[in-house]
Amino acid sequence: MLSNELVVGALLALNVVLYASLAFLALRLRRRKFAPSNLMEAFGDLELALKEAVPDLPSGFTWEEAVARLRSSGVRTEGMEGALKGYEAYRYGGAPLPDLDYRGVADVANTLGGTTAGKRAGGASIGR
Amino acid sequence: MGADIRDRVVAEVGKVVVGREKETDLILTCLLARGHVLLEGVPGVSKTLVANAFARCLGLQFRRVQFTPDILPLDIIGGFIFNLKDREFEFRRGPVFTNILLADEINRAPPKVQSALLESMQEFQVTVEGRTEKLPSPFMVIATQNPMEFEGVYPLLEGQLDRFMVKVSFGYPTPEVEAGILKRNLSSMDLGDVRTVVTAAELDAMAREVDSVTVSDEVLAYLARMAEATRKESSLVLGASPRAMVQLLHCARARALLDGRNYVTPHDVKTLAGEVLTHRLSVDRAAALKGVSRNPEAILTAILDRVEPPR
Repeated sequence: MLSNELVVGALLALNVVLYASLAFLALRLRRRKFAPSNLMEAFGDLELALKEAVPDLPSGFTWEEAVARLRSSGVRTEGMEGALKGYEAYRYGGAPLPDLDYRGVADVANTLGGTTAGKRAGGASIGR
Repeated sequence: MGADIRDRVVAEVGKVVVGREKETDLILTCLLARGHVLLEGVPGVSKTLVANAFARCLGLQFRRVQFTPDILPLDIIGGFIFNLKDREFEFRRGPVFTNILLADEINRAPPKVQSALLESMQEFQVTVEGRTEKLPSPFMVIATQNPMEFEGVYPLLEGQLDRFMVKVSFGYPTPEVEAGILKRNLSSMDLGDVRTVVTAAELDAMAREVDSVTVSDEVLAYLARMAEATRKESSLVLGASPRAMVQLLHCARARALLDGRNYVTPHDVKTLAGEVLTHRLSVDRAAALKGVSRNPEAILTAILDRVEPPR
């Protein structure tokens, strides 16, 4: 026969593991808000994330201005800058949609998503 | 090729002028876009020096005319002179027959002389007494003016200002740049040190390439929305003219080429809008009295912040 203390202890440990996993999963889902399936979608998501995370960004912003603003706020944008060139060549130059890695763009969008969540909780925000 | 040419020109001009990289880049952009440039600034901020050095580093013919209140149209465009030997009137070409004409202190010349330049700037030709002469290609007027002079000057009218593709404001240098200027002037400085770093053939090829730079329909629509916004702005009595927008388009194409691209981005348009449009906007005095900004640059910035570019 197991002692009552042992059962209670095991149940407590199980609870801790269960709730910690749930909290971790919720946090992950919250941070990974965007999961684009192509370059176009990735930039669409980034635009949404930018508008949400940087409310004082004027509606007339260009991608280059957004990148400069993010960089000055300490957001790592190296991953998206190469993709931006290819995206612009497609968008404005009539080049075929490049087969570029758009994870860098999604990462920035998700970082901003995380920032938004953080901001709501009184955390960091993207300032000027 | 574009970025390489820009680097060469900016570096060469930088041999004699410190801290005017952006201005040099704008003048080169304007030249490739087949436009004319107005350099505005108080005396002693290197307007004439930049223009001189810029002209020298291109393998082009260069003439300088100092505008004064007693100058005549004949002194600029030329005219018919009686040749005693042949007993005939012959056309004597004025200094406008060059590739780059530096019109120094243009607002000191009377309107008649300023107007004499108009045809040459717009049509790239000169007509005197029914005779029309084509100007050499490329042809660019680099004019300078001091905005602080109010006496003995003839401010350029809206129609004349509209002929200038770009107005480049020469402000005072930052303390760091000023220190660089002082250091540069410790040793003798000679414009003769400026070498020709771009040949006329290279420039010609680049200028032709500008015409092949792609502009998407979305970017064209962005330009049109921008024009409409300036015309609907209540604090302005004069918004951007269609000619202004066409010039902004050409300028953006030249900028794209200098950046090594064969397409124009909304960012090209937005970053050049200030230099191309500001001098063509007229602020409503009544609005200014009501406390609205009298500064066309601030008004334009607010408009550009509102007009959404394609993304």
